[in-house]
Amino acid sequence: MPTVGQNGLIDPIPARAGIGLRGPHYEALLERRPNTGWLEAHSENFFGQGGAPHQYLEALRAEYPLSLHGVGLSLGSVDELDPRHLHRLDDLVRRYQPGLLSEHLSWSSAGGIHSNDLLPLPYTEEALAHFAGRVRQVQDRLGRRILVENPSSYLRYRHSTIDEWEFLVAVAELSDCGLLLDINNVYVSAVNHGYDALNYLASIPADRVGEIHLAGHAANRCGDRTILIDDHGGPVAEPVWALFKHALARFSNIPTLIEWDSNIPTLDLLLNEADKAQRFMERADAIAA
Amino acid sequence: MPSLREVQDGFLNHLMDGDRSRAADWIMADGLTPAGRMQIYRNNLFTSLCDALAAVYPVVQRLVGVDFFRQTARAYVGQHPSRSGNLHDFGEAFALFLDQQSFTQTLSYLPDVARLEWAWHESYHAAEGGPLDLSTLAAVPVEAYESIRFMLAPSARLVDSAYPVLRIWQVNQQDYSGDPEVSLDQEPSRLLILRQGKQVLLQELDQGTFVWLQALADGQPLGASLVRAVAAQPDFDFHTVLHKHVHQGTLTEIQT
Repeated sequence: MPTVGQNGLIDPIPARAGIGLRGPHYEALLERRPNTGWLEAHSENFFGQGGAPHQYLEALRAEYPLSLHGVGLSLGSVDELDPRHLHRLDDLVRRYQPGLLSEHLSWSSAGGIHSNDLLPLPYTEEALAHFAGRVRQVQDRLGRRILVENPSSYLRYRHSTIDEWEFLVAVAELSDCGLLLDINNVYVSAVNHGYDALNYLASIPADRVGEIHLAGHAANRCGDRTILIDDHGGPVAEPVWALFKHALARFSNIPTLIEWDSNIPTLDLLLNEADKAQRFMERADAIAA
Repeated sequence: MPSLREVQDGFLNHLMDGDRSRAADWIMADGLTPAGRMQIYRNNLFTSLCDALAAVYPVVQRLVGVDFFRQTARAYVGQHPSRSGNLHDFGEAFALFLDQQSFTQTLSYLPDVARLEWAWHESYHAAEGGPLDLSTLAAVPVEAYESIRFMLAPSARLVDSAYPVLRIWQVNQQDYSGDPEVSLDQEPSRLLILRQGKQVLLQELDQGTFVWLQALADGQPLGASLVRAVAAQPDFDFHTVLHKHVHQGTLTEIQT
């Protein structure tokens, strides 16, 4: 039996700030029912068939619009798409009818071995054709459109011939998918690779963007260089808020998520961060009006 | 220009084995070294998989200490790499791996503790099982009783050990505040792991019940399962045991 929101329909994700759903907050969310716009769960956290995770998600799904965000499908791999993974994702999508469904512009596995990480693709014509084909394959299998998220990365390939933002837009056009624009990832990659974050944002067609992510990052010294690491382990950094402000001038009325996955804070701290994003969004709307 | 397949195979070999023979040639140094950049991903891979293992095996980690656990987990990741995009699938062979390590000659109960923790993990995520409808049994003619099959709940797991692994598990829970002593001379463990609602329950069984449930789990019909149970424990009290395990949801279906 499919589980849907209180109104019995698929709740669209509202153009408000929401929070990433993490295990330590399940109980507090159910007890307090805080006023946050929506929740986003990692799909794979609910790949088990039953038990506490699904009992919590069922209850929360009745209270909040829900988005599902995958981290393990490995869209960019040359390996065949894992049929078990697709099957479990399909079950989850049917059961919870998420308002949005997203995956990453990355790859994870080769020769059947998984890194369980979001690894960077070379941005070549071969990779573009492959990736767009995989997005189409997944959309056909699930019978719905997905969003593809821009990655953060710590290296570039010598043989890449396409800029990341162009690659992302081309994937969207070739596969007719939407985009999940992660502002922190744009910032992290722009700093790590020395490109212009504003130019990145300006290259993304506004009508393709279905969701925005915000998260914290860490700065690591590597020799005499600083590399930013997308660890989702703290509050959103000031330059990322500034970039978010720029993004809001270009992409309005987009659901925006706060992700916080390591050093998971109290629910209140997470909600404060979402409130901050909400205030940015409301100010941008007031300016636009 | 390397193909996408060559890039991915070379990249993953570098991540797993530190094999720099190929991937490093394709990566821009850009102020670091290609290998230094790969090292960021290598650290991520080992850290996240070791974290995943620690999440499933908290008692093993507590018994050997965090540093030794990380070192052991790293070796495990190298020998048994992840084969699923779902991290919940990772770590199944850890008990077997521990059994092959020389340090478990002195910590001989450790592989069994790992088996218990994997059973707990599987039980936690298993499908829901409906309550057993005993009226199905009423419809079975008495002469057919011995050939019916009771099905165990999807979350039911059986673990036995020559060591008191339940006691070891209990005193190593974060909220345990009682006597931490465990005597390894205690009785061997025969355990049922079963989820009730959101909670995973660990229950000590007598020998007859363990053998009976194990026979059912192996697909034995009722008659043959009872022969085994009574052979293991002559005073095996079928009616009491049946009532208890129907009532608590260990048994969820009858196939006639």
